[in-house]
Amino acid sequence: MSARQPRFNQQALIDTTPLPDDIPKVKEIGASSAPLLSASFFIGARCKAFNDDYMMCKTEANGRGELECMKEGRKVTRCAASVIKDINENCLSEFRVHWQCLENHNQQLWNCRSEERRLNKCVFNKLKLEKTIPDTPKGEEQVHLRTRNIFASH
Amino acid sequence: MGVPFEALLPYGIMIGMFAFSAVAVGSLREMQNGGKKGRRGLDAWDRVMMERDRRLTGFARGQTDKPFAPPGFEVNNPWRVEERFF
Repeated sequence: MSARQPRFNQQALIDTTPLPDDIPKVKEIGASSAPLLSASFFIGARCKAFNDDYMMCKTEANGRGELECMKEGRKVTRCAASVIKDINENCLSEFRVHWQCLENHNQQLWNCRSEERRLNKCVFNKLKLEKTIPDTPKGEEQVHLRTRNIFASH
Repeated sequence: MGVPFEALLPYGIMIGMFAFSAVAVGSLREMQNGGKKGRRGLDAWDRVMMERDRRLTGFARGQTDKPFAPPGFEVNNPWRVEERFF
């Protein structure tokens, strides 16, 4: 049988024309869902300024943000890719153990806390990125630091 | 006065059939998920992320941790085609 996938049918059209030159170039992120979820809080720790800048640009563009905020969006993509690259270079084994655990547990962070603790420790020691959950109530321990998990099945 | 073993044979058959169908359905689900446990309780975000995984790796449950996407990834996002109506 032919190995060629359809480019155009009744549901979808895949247009492989390269993007025009007026769109700024960027290398897209190659990590899939589980590694992205595993690295998400470190991406947030390093790229908070870029992300906030992009969201502010989109708010102020009155609905044309996808077109006018491309430069800011490219910065967001590059910053996130740099975090994934650094984690891959420094903590690859812990990273893989964590996202494979996530992938086997319906991508629920609370089922993989021990793997996550090892990853957080490695990333903090080597990259100085710390996982903090935004908007945790004052005086309350963050949920990933709790020693006792009632609902975790693993 | 014990129960004759012939009375228990149908129960053995019933339990065996239930066990066979459970193992068969379970292993079929595992095969469909590439040897991993199946996802459950998916919302719209999970579904679009699985579609993105499919575009990246060729399989909805495939995972990759490379920082940069392979060439061609940025143009293989399909346009949804509107269905024709009269």
